[in-house]
Amino acid sequence: MPYVPNSDRDRDAMLRAVGVSSVEDLLAEIPEDLRFRGDLDVPGPLSELELERHMARLAALNRSLDDVLSFDGAGIYDQAIPAAVRHVCGMPQFSTAYTPYQAEASQGTLQAIYEYQTLIARLTGMDVANASMYDGATAAAEAVLMGFGVTRKRRVAVPRSVHPAVREVLATFVAASGAEVVDVPLAGGVTDVGALEDALEEGTVALVGHPNFFGLLEPVTGISQAVERKKAWLVASVDPLSLALLEPPGSYGAEVAVGEGQCLGSPAAYGGPLLGFMAARRRHIRRMPGRIIGATADTEGRRGYVMTLQTREQHIRREKATSNICTNQGLVALATTVYLSLLGKDGLRELASHVAARSHYAADALSRVDGVRLRFDGPFFREFVVELPVDAARVQSELRTAGIWPGVSLSRWFDDMPNSLLVAVSERHSREEIDTLASAIGAVTERRGAE
Amino acid sequence: MSESGRDRETVVEPTIFELSSPGRRGFDLPPLDVPEIDPAEAFGRENVRSAAAELPELSEPDVVRHFTRLAEMNYHIDRGIYPLGSCTMKYNPKIHEELAGRSGFARLHPEAPVESVQGALALMYHLARALAEISGMDEVSLQPAAGAAGELAGMLITRAYHTDRGNPRSKVIVPDSAHGTNPASLTLAGYEPVQIVSGPDGRIDLEALRAAVDDETAAVMVTNPNTLGVFETQIADVIEIVHAAGGLVYLDGANLNAQMGLVRPGEIGFDLMHFNLHKTFSTPHGGGGPGSGPVGVKAFLADYLPKPVVVRDEARSTGVEYLLDHDRPRSIGRIHAAYGNFLVMVKAYAYILRLGPSGLRKVSENAVLNANYLQALLAPHYELPHKGYCQHEFVLSADRQKRQGVRALDVAKMLLDLGAHAPTVYFPLIVSEALMIEPTETESRESLDAFVAAMAAIAEASDSDPESVRAAPRTTPVGRLDEARAARELDVVWEKM
Repeated sequence: MPYVPNSDRDRDAMLRAVGVSSVEDLLAEIPEDLRFRGDLDVPGPLSELELERHMARLAALNRSLDDVLSFDGAGIYDQAIPAAVRHVCGMPQFSTAYTPYQAEASQGTLQAIYEYQTLIARLTGMDVANASMYDGATAAAEAVLMGFGVTRKRRVAVPRSVHPAVREVLATFVAASGAEVVDVPLAGGVTDVGALEDALEEGTVALVGHPNFFGLLEPVTGISQAVERKKAWLVASVDPLSLALLEPPGSYGAEVAVGEGQCLGSPAAYGGPLLGFMAARRRHIRRMPGRIIGATADTEGRRGYVMTLQTREQHIRREKATSNICTNQGLVALATTVYLSLLGKDGLRELASHVAARSHYAADALSRVDGVRLRFDGPFFREFVVELPVDAARVQSELRTAGIWPGVSLSRWFDDMPNSLLVAVSERHSREEIDTLASAIGAVTERRGAE
Repeated sequence: MSESGRDRETVVEPTIFELSSPGRRGFDLPPLDVPEIDPAEAFGRENVRSAAAELPELSEPDVVRHFTRLAEMNYHIDRGIYPLGSCTMKYNPKIHEELAGRSGFARLHPEAPVESVQGALALMYHLARALAEISGMDEVSLQPAAGAAGELAGMLITRAYHTDRGNPRSKVIVPDSAHGTNPASLTLAGYEPVQIVSGPDGRIDLEALRAAVDDETAAVMVTNPNTLGVFETQIADVIEIVHAAGGLVYLDGANLNAQMGLVRPGEIGFDLMHFNLHKTFSTPHGGGGPGSGPVGVKAFLADYLPKPVVVRDEARSTGVEYLLDHDRPRSIGRIHAAYGNFLVMVKAYAYILRLGPSGLRKVSENAVLNANYLQALLAPHYELPHKGYCQHEFVLSADRQKRQGVRALDVAKMLLDLGAHAPTVYFPLIVSEALMIEPTETESRESLDAFVAAMAAIAEASDSDPESVRAAPRTTPVGRLDEARAARELDVVWEKM
């Protein structure tokens, strides 16, 4: 038994101390007809060596991003992670601690989250931030529920340019509340501002993605004016890397800013753990879900940190809590804190500039391929949609044999986009690799033309 | 256990913002081999950020030292006992981190073609099967990212089930000993909580339950063993009463560590439940996540599970064995942006494989033994509201110490001085001055004895010198913190003075 220290001798001594002769005596309260008396049909036990081999075999059945040239994105981005991020997150003082309920013995975790909150607030241009949510999708859904609480209306308008997974999770979260979810049509891949304004009523929550699912910048100034005219309530779901270069939600009237923080220091990890971040105007802090860390002082005036405003939370307020969230993504928030600390003000801006430059180079390179064009004209940050002369799924499968994943096909979510590919570029992609993608797509479309 | 005798003055750590020095950075990039872009041209002048986000500027050594100093202020399970009741803080196997860090798991994109992630999907499929086997449920979805998300999924499944039968129903019953997430989750799913008081022995009172159940009862949420650490001996009657009224019986699986290989909830009549992989399966807790809260159901509820669902096609009719099934019309929908906290699943699967059927049973047996050993040795020093053997945890009361002016909170704080982490305090709500203790199976007898000695010393000090207990902690990086001030003078982001 690798993880249980008790030897038979220990067990005997302990049983004697308790005054019983076997563990079965301790379980005697469980009615016999409720006991499971068989052997569980699960695999194992394996020694550590056998376990390593078994897991290595499973891992080898996967083709990782190390093995292929990938342009998949759609909200999960394969950015490089400095070794120091993994090092800090691997410290057992952080990874094997519990939620910081005993503040005096958890100052490391608490101060790190306080720093995380500050970084997120500064990045988003908002006043306050919480300690993290599960992912960008649940963060967006919870932000909409927050809006419902403030406006006392149960109505949300969502443009079709918001990430499909966010829209799906939102639908799951509001299904029981009887809320009305209004789809807002697009114009040129971005929110049709006129249609949005028509959809808004006083107190309607508007959820906008910026950059949106297609990588495009939304007309946030127009959106913000429409929201203000209709006395609606704006939630912005943003790509945090873009905020190094783009005006933050705090500058265009968002009440809450949320987003997916995975790209800031965490691997793609087959989609989890991710990091939902949430920042808001100070006036909404008492309606925020989840943990919030605050600074205070100890009995001798020394600065220290505690979980604060806990009367919003489930362990105090139970059914009147602002959310049911308890365990969040603490260690992922720590990764982001370390990541942003390493990059700093100039580093993050330089990274964002490189990512944008490389994606613009890729968009140019791909649109020079015969028969390929950019699907939308508007400005984009790191990701763009190309329209192919053939089915996108077919291009994907032909390129796969060459170890190239050219991006995400949009046909699963959009029936009217069978030939569209969403291409994401990061600082990992060299000019040569981008050229390789362009010529590989060119070869497929040429073959197709010859058929 | 000894006092660390640390000098507090030396451990105050400035914020990362105060450590910032202009021009430093801990990061670099490969040279840009494509043309630069002009942000104003590429994004439109009105979209370009006018004032840069004020992120701190530090070198890599500055950053690593800052976080190392912060780390040193934390108590953690690698250092010693962490007996938080209901939290199952057990030792975390080191192999878990190595396995989850493999690029064949960590560097997979969720939109990768299924044929390129057969190992990941196989792992998820077989982990779900193992959890179903352990729990006696029929189907398991790994998608919920934490226990509370699993509860929400469970309550939405409950709602979908009743809705299909013509009436979603309006109420969910929770005992007063329940975790706070239970009423919060059912409310989020559109239900109204009905709280029932526990019987004198801390168990569900069947009369109170009968009086509360009616044809608007969608479900009852039960924690078993309950938060007092006792098995709900009349659980068969509870289930029968709720089923007779057409309701479902939900298990909060927070306490599964007492049951592996001993009791299978699905077999004894529970309809659905959630698991906490970061507790029972030691994945670890991460200082507050990431966790993983799979939801398990009996076959008649399987259609409602979150989508997509990982399915196996042994015939490989589409060329692959493991698939993601998005075509689930009765599903409650997505509850996560992707498929859940995959790397946490890797660790939980490794844990199950390493232990196997006999090891999992031994985990639960030793968790029960360790708890009973502690309970027996601590009973002379503190009040024990529920007599009798416990399961994996038990609840003491500091009522006796309170008469000397020492509260449960003071006991907790002094434990920090004596080299242990504190138990959960003031929960469950039905015990006054509650100290809820869950040692787990990974503590040795010596570790338990040392904890008993510390608790006994505190009980003794409560009589002889109560002020010394109220003044704890003395050796932690900071003394007792003013929570009221934190809430009153909100300071949740750092600002330059």
